[in-house]
Amino acid sequence: MASTIPASGFELLERSAELRALAAALAAVDETGRGKLALVRGEAGIGKTALVDTFTASVRAGRVLRAACEPLNTPSPLGPFLEIADGVGGDLARVAAAGPQPYALTAELVRELAAGPAVVLIEDIHWADEATLDVLRLLTRRLESVPTLVIATYRDDEITRSHPLRAVLGEFGARALRVTVEPLSPDAVAELAANSGVDADALYRRTSGNPFFVTEALAGDGKGVPETVRDAVLARASRLGDEARALLDAVAVVPPSIERALLDRLVPNADAALDECTSVGMLRADAGRVGFRHELARIAIEDALPPGARRTLHRAVLAALLDEGGAIDPARLAHHGEEAADTESILRFAPEAAARAAAVGSHREAADQYARALRHAAEVESAHRAGWLVQRALSCYVTDQSEETIESLRLAASIYHELGDEVAEGHARERLSAYLWCPGHVEESRASGLHAIALLEPHGPSRELGAAYDQMAFLADQGSRPDEARLWRERLLETSIATGDFELEILSRAEGPEVAFATALENGLIGLAGSIQQEVVGAPLWQRRYEAADRSLRAGLAFHSDHGLELYRHYVLSWLAQCALEQGRFDEAVDWADEVIRTPRASISPRILALTTVGVVRARRGDPDPWSPLDEAYDLAIPSGEPRRIAPPSAARAEAAWLEGRDSEIAELTDVAYALAVARRDGGIVGALGVWRRRAGLPVDLVDGIDEVHALELRGEFAAAAARWAATGCPYEAALALADTGDEAAQRQAFDELQRLGAAAAAERLRRAGVRGLPRGPRRTTRENPSNLTTREVEVLQLLMEGLRNSEIAERLVLSERTVHHHVSAILRKLGAGSRTEAVARASMLGI
Amino acid sequence: MPRYVVERTFPEGLEIPADAQGARACLGIIERNSDDGVTWIRSYVTGDRSKTFCVYDAPSPEAIRRTAGRNELPVDRITEVRVLDPYFHF
Repeated sequence: MASTIPASGFELLERSAELRALAAALAAVDETGRGKLALVRGEAGIGKTALVDTFTASVRAGRVLRAACEPLNTPSPLGPFLEIADGVGGDLARVAAAGPQPYALTAELVRELAAGPAVVLIEDIHWADEATLDVLRLLTRRLESVPTLVIATYRDDEITRSHPLRAVLGEFGARALRVTVEPLSPDAVAELAANSGVDADALYRRTSGNPFFVTEALAGDGKGVPETVRDAVLARASRLGDEARALLDAVAVVPPSIERALLDRLVPNADAALDECTSVGMLRADAGRVGFRHELARIAIEDALPPGARRTLHRAVLAALLDEGGAIDPARLAHHGEEAADTESILRFAPEAAARAAAVGSHREAADQYARALRHAAEVESAHRAGWLVQRALSCYVTDQSEETIESLRLAASIYHELGDEVAEGHARERLSAYLWCPGHVEESRASGLHAIALLEPHGPSRELGAAYDQMAFLADQGSRPDEARLWRERLLETSIATGDFELEILSRAEGPEVAFATALENGLIGLAGSIQQEVVGAPLWQRRYEAADRSLRAGLAFHSDHGLELYRHYVLSWLAQCALEQGRFDEAVDWADEVIRTPRASISPRILALTTVGVVRARRGDPDPWSPLDEAYDLAIPSGEPRRIAPPSAARAEAAWLEGRDSEIAELTDVAYALAVARRDGGIVGALGVWRRRAGLPVDLVDGIDEVHALELRGEFAAAAARWAATGCPYEAALALADTGDEAAQRQAFDELQRLGAAAAAERLRRAGVRGLPRGPRRTTRENPSNLTTREVEVLQLLMEGLRNSEIAERLVLSERTVHHHVSAILRKLGAGSRTEAVARASMLGI
Repeated sequence: MPRYVVERTFPEGLEIPADAQGARACLGIIERNSDDGVTWIRSYVTGDRSKTFCVYDAPSPEAIRRTAGRNELPVDRITEVRVLDPYFHF
């Protein structure tokens, strides 16, 4: 167990397959120079630490950098990586000491790891703080370029549905090596129990082969097998003398292990007691620290303390730590303060720990620390409390705790209202407006924004007021009210000039979004830069300039990934899905969409687009169940009342009904979105919905601003529309327009094209419509060539021959890395090659 | 997890020899499927081996298609099915 001092020196039973898997992963990393993530999982006490200890002891070449997460209620942000940085020294330690954001620390860590082969071991990531998980996530995304085997251990039985580790596992699960540490077999238990006088069968039945439980039971009092791990630990402890037991209790209240100096203050002259504890194997000690052999044992001892005694011990620890002076982690002081029920310490240290956590991006821990302070804040001045509420709200928002965000801001606003602080209340209501929009509470969001402006305007121009104008402009844009948006932007610009405020200058984008982005970035305003960049990277897609869109969206994805801006990253992933879909690349579209859907977030827009993509691809292919994702997307969108959110699932549902031959339902499926778009004169949306309404024989209102290509279809100029779609790069839409011409040759061409795209249901609809001369039977499959490679595989192979990496190939061919990875595997298999180099050699021999 | 029947056509006829090589081929498929949580239950093959009806448990139709691509297997049609046991009532 990581939370204790590493074990050594005894032979592991039944772990050779696991050790071989790790060794093979390390060998592959050494050979290819590309890193890998290994996840070692198993229940508490199953022997994860023993396994990785044995493995790391066997590592011959390169460094082993290891650290562990701590079992504190609210752990110190970045703890394990700061520990590693401290051990490495140099630039990495300097960056770490400056209180870095996760992306900055990762960048430095990657530079450090590029130097040569290494194993990075992080234990017990089920206890990791959010910033640590961010670094792990960012590091894993960059592993392709560093020769590092990253091993992370965790208790898989403690990962609940909402556990933050889930998102990380969801992202990397499929690509990571998974090593599951299994319980010992009855034979192994019998081997351990030999000569102990304990009944091996009973021992196996009771312990289910959990190695920690087995060894604790064997070290017990010899009166049979204890009922639980806890009983086993307590039985073992009961044999200690009074002084040794007092020492054990003191060590138990300081997880994961206690510094010797601190222990000396708590229990003076304890050398003999410590010897007693270590000789029976309850505790382990090294030069600097004393700890339990396993966290399970520490918990058993701590839980067995009577409440009063436990509080007293924590109070003593707190006093000793404060007495020591120096820089003590406030998270640690807040922990002991809470355990000691010492309100004064909690109010002093929890907000300090929160601010420190937020500064390095550990927002979950920051939110918890503010909550801890607020729980004890009955006597605190209300302005103070409201400030903590606002801070807590910001941290909750970043960690996707939408309800808590809104609740905290409402409370803060009402406190400021009572205090008569209108500027502070206005600021809270402006933030509230922003956070109400994401999960779709559009009307309330607008009301809150207007309320903020009413509060702030009488106090003259200010940053708060400018931010409120920007928020209102955003809402007007999203609601398809461009004229209103322009008015708010004018006011923002005036406010920016009047105040000379730097952030407002960026928000006003007076010199265009590109300049605003660069300025924000130069000044380290990463979140603001990310939000402005959304406009820049999305624009080519809205203009159907697909080549540019593929490039800019990827650049946006890389930026957000590198900077840990997960919400914006989700938006870009959903746009990548849409971009691939519109270009007829269905496999890729659902891969991107899948990444969005896998990680549930409160923000609805990316999810609506991703679900729509999956549903419409199923419908076009004739695959099962297109309606569940489409209905879910529509139900998410409809309460927002915004055409931009409602239109995509509406159009997709119309298309799905049409593909199933139920044209008469199209009117009902699109009525709401269509009426909204016409009322707001949003031509882009009227056109997109209009083409489906026309197919159902419904009239379409030709408002201004309809895309030219939609207008061609609506005017019945199908051949011209088809040519325009094809030139734009939308083969599916081109085929449908071609079919609409009614010309038999064109329809046969459309049929072939739909078959080629994999849109079996669309092709089938043409057949049902009675288009003559269509071929029967299965569509043609893989095109034949000497080694049976598909066209795409040949393309990938050619880039392999140029010496490109998967990431570079993905970039070049505009595929996801996962897809490239699969193509490369297929190429190796078809060419019977064991490596990329070998594949390249074979290919040149075969003249591919 | 939903269950699907996947219809595939092999114009040249499906060839899986009943020896170690065939076993390796099947194991390879099973392993590549596991990345996406897809489980191959069994397949029914027509007499001329030109068509198969394969029963799968999978999280989604996309997972079926993704693994089919990786295993270089054609997909004609995916149908979601439920089990009907004729002897259930006896």
